[in-house]
Amino acid sequence: MTRIIVMTSGKGGVGKSTCTANLGMALAQRNQRVAVVDADFGLRNLDLLLGLENRIVYTALDVLAGDCTVEKALVKDKRQPTLGLLAAAQNRNKEAITPNQMKELVAGLAPSNDFILIDCPAGIEMGFQNAIAPAKEAIVVTTPEISAVRDADRVIGLLEANDVKFTKLLINRIKPKMVQEDQMMSVRDVLDILAVPLLGVVPDDERVIVSSNRGEPLVLEKQLSLAGVAFNNIARRLLGEEVPLIDLTATHDDLFSRLRRFLRGS
Amino acid sequence: MAPDDSAAAVTDSGLDTGTDTAIDASIVAPEVPVDKPATSAEAAGSEHSSPAPPQPAPPIDPRTQLRLRNEGDHLVLLMPSGPQSEAEGGALAWGELLQHFRQRLNGGEPFWQPNTVVHLAASDRLLDARQLQALDDILTAAQLRLKRVITSRRQTAMAAVTVGYSVDQLEAEDTLVQSPPPPGKPLAEPLYLQTTVRSGVEIRHPGTIVVLGDANPGSSLVAEGDILVWGRLRGIAHAGFGGDRDRYIMALQMQPTQLRLADLVARAPDSPGTDYLPEVAYVGNNAIRIAQAQAFARQHFDATLGQGAQPTDAF
Ligand SMILES: Nc1ncnc2c1ncn2[C@@H]1O[C@H](COP(=O)(O)OP(=O)(O)OP(=O)(O)O)[C@@H](O)[C@H]1O
Ligand SMILES: [Mg+2]
Repeated sequence: MTRIIVMTSGKGGVGKSTCTANLGMALAQRNQRVAVVDADFGLRNLDLLLGLENRIVYTALDVLAGDCTVEKALVKDKRQPTLGLLAAAQNRNKEAITPNQMKELVAGLAPSNDFILIDCPAGIEMGFQNAIAPAKEAIVVTTPEISAVRDADRVIGLLEANDVKFTKLLINRIKPKMVQEDQMMSVRDVLDILAVPLLGVVPDDERVIVSSNRGEPLVLEKQLSLAGVAFNNIARRLLGEEVPLIDLTATHDDLFSRLRRFLRGS
Repeated sequence: MAPDDSAAAVTDSGLDTGTDTAIDASIVAPEVPVDKPATSAEAAGSEHSSPAPPQPAPPIDPRTQLRLRNEGDHLVLLMPSGPQSEAEGGALAWGELLQHFRQRLNGGEPFWQPNTVVHLAASDRLLDARQLQALDDILTAAQLRLKRVITSRRQTAMAAVTVGYSVDQLEAEDTLVQSPPPPGKPLAEPLYLQTTVRSGVEIRHPGTIVVLGDANPGSSLVAEGDILVWGRLRGIAHAGFGGDRDRYIMALQMQPTQLRLADLVARAPDSPGTDYLPEVAYVGNNAIRIAQAQAFARQHFDATLGQGAQPTDAF
């Protein structure tokens, strides 16, 4: 059974595309056949994050128009040939496609893939409705900010109402130091509100930006950064492995604060 | 929150979502500023209440959502009537109407047997075949079977016949369905929801609402009767919507963005406490007051305990 997962958030800019690119790549590295689908018509950028921009010949719209097969439109990744990208059309807006057409596209990809990751646009309008239409599972991406968490809550409710049953949470851009100083919502604060299972936590990491600019997902690095490890762990959890959360504070801790925590008994 | 709640202390196994940690105060930041409460001399309890400033009635009415009524051998699906665009302040747009209905069905404990028959009381609402089909799909998913459509609109009747339902066409002025209730009319049956009521979800019900779960910030509950939240109330709650001040809002953890009882409004205090005990909001002296549930129950609900000895004090 192909796992069809939508990556969504409500709020924009929280890292949906970054997470889609990295999880797609990490799953492909584990011998999974993965198709990542950019559902952000008009503002596509998944191709940039994957470094595949100049290899796009056909987009999803060409497939729907009958100009090519979905297989042909899928851009294969040279580094990881089991990863393919179905690009969105850049010159059209989100009304250019309907939920049923989105289902049709994904149905075309399903037989030849183990995972289909759909990168959802921000918001809860048409583009969102399109992106979630074919999905069986959802990964809700949020950052530890009140506004992002509020939008994530809204989106989780809409997913439930639209029969996307398996929703998991990915908390992106945690800054352990700020959490420790009580200046940022902690993982627990976020879960306390959202009440859905946690898939993973990704720290805020400057190398995410560097890797985006290069078109090379973090998980391709030889010497993995903490964020890269976190993405790998999330991919492993998606495959059913039990992987404990990494201790994000370890690198930031000085002896004193560790001692203090130890004495407090946590 | 305690500093040791940082990501460091968290492992997958430790991530039970029902923690006992208090939420960051700013999450329940009030959306409508109201004067600081004039603390009352009322009985027990923490009074984070305030006298109501004159406030326009909210643009939401408990009768503007789709809901099911039990009629013994079948259910009636009640369609809100009135102006059909949001702009006119009337019933919600169609998409949203369906959204709310799905959310309601998902959260509700079904009180019907599989394959129960449903009659749609469409009132004066214009429905085309596609809209009827959309309703049918939702009902089918909930193991209900739409059989009959009751409408006062010819076009709706035609559409229903085309799709294959039995149709009752009523006179246009027939008010069987939805006109506002005359005073003293009994409320609808309580609505039970076993779910997290999430941001953006609005539950409106012309009776009492019982939520087994949390009502999150950004959600709103509007009831003509009482509101009971067996969980954390962190959104907006409005009980006694029709104007009945003898209604209550009860929650295991009272951290609302705003409370409304009939025509009165109170908002959360700026610095909520950290210990939450079950509390009850009620109207006393023309203002919303909040009391600890236990003390409140002793005073208001249990006559025998309220007067004589109070056995609970012994413990
Ligand atoms: N863990 C992280 N650490 C540092 N920067 C990050 C992290 N995750 C994402 N970013 C940065 O945040 C920005 C937004 O990321 P991204 O484009 O993935 O978000 P998005 O949710 O897809 O946005 P949109 O809603 O516009 O589609 C980018 O500049 C990205 O590099
Ligand atoms: Mg994006």
